[in-house]
Amino acid sequence: MVDAGTVHVLLGQNGAGKSTLMRILCGAHHPDAGEILIDGQAARLRSPADARRLGVAVIFQEFSLVPFLDLAQNIFLGREPGGKVPGTIDRRRMHAEARRLLDGLGLDVDTRTLAHELGVAQQQMVEIAKALSQNARILVMDEPTAALSDREVVRLFERVRALKREGVAIVYISHRLQEIFQIGDRITVLRDGKNVGSFAISTDLENPKNLENTANLENLVRLMVGRQVTMSYRERFCETPGEVLLEVRDLRAENGVRGTLDVKAGEVVGLAGLVGAGRTELARAIFGADRVVSGSVRVIGAAPGRGPAGAVRAGMALVPENRQTEGLALMRSVQDNVLVAGLRKLFPSAWYLAAKAARAASDVINRLQIATPSPARLVRFLSGGNQQKVVVGKWLAAGSRFFIFDEPTRGIDIGAKAELFHVIDRLVASGAAVLMISSELPEVVAVCDRAYVMRDKAIVGELKRADLSEENILRMAMHHG
Amino acid sequence: MDSGRSIPGAAYLLVILLVVFSIFGEGFATLPNILNIGVQGSVLLLLALPMTLIIMTEGLDLSMGAVLSLAGVVLATLLMNGHGLAVALAAAAGVGLAFGVANGVLVVLLELPPFVVTLGTLGIAQGLALVLTGGQSVVGIGDALPALYESRPFGVPFSIVSAAGAFLVFGFVMKRTRLGSYVSALGGNREALVLAGVHVNLVHVAIYAVGGLMSGLAALLLTGRMSAGHPTAAIGLEFDAIAAVIVGGTSFERGNGTLVGTLIGVLTIGVLKNGLNVMSVSSSLQVASIGVLVIAALVIDSALTALRRPAGSTA
Repeated sequence: MVDAGTVHVLLGQNGAGKSTLMRILCGAHHPDAGEILIDGQAARLRSPADARRLGVAVIFQEFSLVPFLDLAQNIFLGREPGGKVPGTIDRRRMHAEARRLLDGLGLDVDTRTLAHELGVAQQQMVEIAKALSQNARILVMDEPTAALSDREVVRLFERVRALKREGVAIVYISHRLQEIFQIGDRITVLRDGKNVGSFAISTDLENPKNLENTANLENLVRLMVGRQVTMSYRERFCETPGEVLLEVRDLRAENGVRGTLDVKAGEVVGLAGLVGAGRTELARAIFGADRVVSGSVRVIGAAPGRGPAGAVRAGMALVPENRQTEGLALMRSVQDNVLVAGLRKLFPSAWYLAAKAARAASDVINRLQIATPSPARLVRFLSGGNQQKVVVGKWLAAGSRFFIFDEPTRGIDIGAKAELFHVIDRLVASGAAVLMISSELPEVVAVCDRAYVMRDKAIVGELKRADLSEENILRMAMHHG
Repeated sequence: MDSGRSIPGAAYLLVILLVVFSIFGEGFATLPNILNIGVQGSVLLLLALPMTLIIMTEGLDLSMGAVLSLAGVVLATLLMNGHGLAVALAAAAGVGLAFGVANGVLVVLLELPPFVVTLGTLGIAQGLALVLTGGQSVVGIGDALPALYESRPFGVPFSIVSAAGAFLVFGFVMKRTRLGSYVSALGGNREALVLAGVHVNLVHVAIYAVGGLMSGLAALLLTGRMSAGHPTAAIGLEFDAIAAVIVGGTSFERGNGTLVGTLIGVLTIGVLKNGLNVMSVSSSLQVASIGVLVIAALVIDSALTALRRPAGSTA
């Protein structure tokens, strides 16, 4: 139940049924039983057109933009303002209205830009503009902030509050608990497709101490996973790190990043900074995906060979931000994906031995507890958290010792997050080292032994465990002059 | 920023070819010869325009040449039997449309691979054309069509005017109508279109139907040029159309394609064939040269893309 002018938050693990519920609300999926009431009337949502007519708009987490249409065409897809001749488009009006919507969200990009030319954060803003353009009375948002920087989140929340004042009812799905307390009025927790708890957020927003009510958090997490999980992700932090596994000296890369850092065995080192600070670029340069102009990169005491292939042979592994396109072959099985990077090591004779491959794959599946009915399952059908594990498993099978994680928790729920951090914990406990890129400062603080902070494409400082706090990171990341 | 709408690699090839043939090909750079290239390219453009939409939406239509041959035979037979030009053209268009709709229904509704479906309809259309004519040319089609074909509205050969008209219509539809947006969206993100509440299958079938319709209409120009209907007149023309589309920078993915690119592709292939003719290169070598052209255009495009996108621009 969502009232006009309120934000109702939906929480739940991946697979809890949030997406299915969303697809039912937007008319793409049909319920087997039960009914949906809109304005007290039983609503029949048999197609996306029905949903639209009833004033339901959905912002999807998977981007629904068309790469080679411009922004205005994307925003008004299926609802183009008609011109004088039937079937034609009034382009002037369409672009003017698109301009107005983008201005409202603070996105200063030409409406004639093609969607594929935008970065992920900007695409997300266009996605939001698209939903807003429908003048919906019920707005469903699935992790709208997953790709946004803090500044953009503030902009978005201003818009959400304005919509609330206009009487729009909002269903908001997010894994970022802080946001939920900032923006939500009610919370409903879903588990295994069922409503397992629903209550009002009585937090006094003026009192910052209430923003992160830990007891509350614990309760929510417990409801979501159905068992008590601790919020601490590490068994213990690394006090006596081992040998240096990654040593980067005065690196300058063609993509503009520069910096000096090292990561030792047993350590989880954070790489923090605001969106656009160059964290991903630095990781790409270290991994050999982008050309290094000067300086040195040494992995386990030796200079790696050229390119990503050299980095992998040297024992380095990159778990990319965009798992689906960069880290996984979605149409292949779990086994194929897990073994692809380790084939050389697993089969030195170059003969593929099916039994040996199956053993190696199920070993990785067990070690990481990948939830899959069989190793032959296509990766496409796994949940986001399990896809993440497949990417990590791939490098485990290849025998990597130095791991770079790029935004590992983006788009996965708290339960999967906890499991992922346990995987990281197990990795470093077994003598590996991890460099973790994250925009989620609480995670950097909770998980990392040390952190480097980037600003304007350069590493500007290092924080030891004792000094590691969100405030200190932000101070370094934003400092000017 | 503007990589989607920038100059396709074929434009550079076209300029190079024009310069080379102007210097080495005797009689290449003359007005009659240039018009000749336009006349020869006009039938190809009529097929390449719908082929662009089909390829943009991750499809393929191998049946176009055969359907064109069949429609030409039907057109010529009706004219030979004394029917009016309008009736004959309508019948030819109807034959094309029927094949196009059949392709679309099989590909979209039965979800069969377009390569296989259109290879099948290619065989059916070609076979029908041969059966109808007994393998012979259909001659004695009267004066109406040849007269129309020889006419010069605004001083320009009729076939060039027709092709230009078709180009403008396609351009208008793609840029100014909902249908055009939906075609791009269908190739780029089918799910987005479904969620926008558009009847996606209808749009998709329509794209193949237009392919068939244009093949039928192109029979007017082909039959007019030969003053006869021949059952194998357009054999293999679909491959030139596919080549033109690919040379023009349209890709099989993400709904990325432009009609201007396809026009450049058609002109490039036309100039290449004509220039090699002028320089008396054997027709077998001409076939090979189109293969080289397609690959060269793809190489240039990927090189341009690599140059435009500096490394590490992920964020």
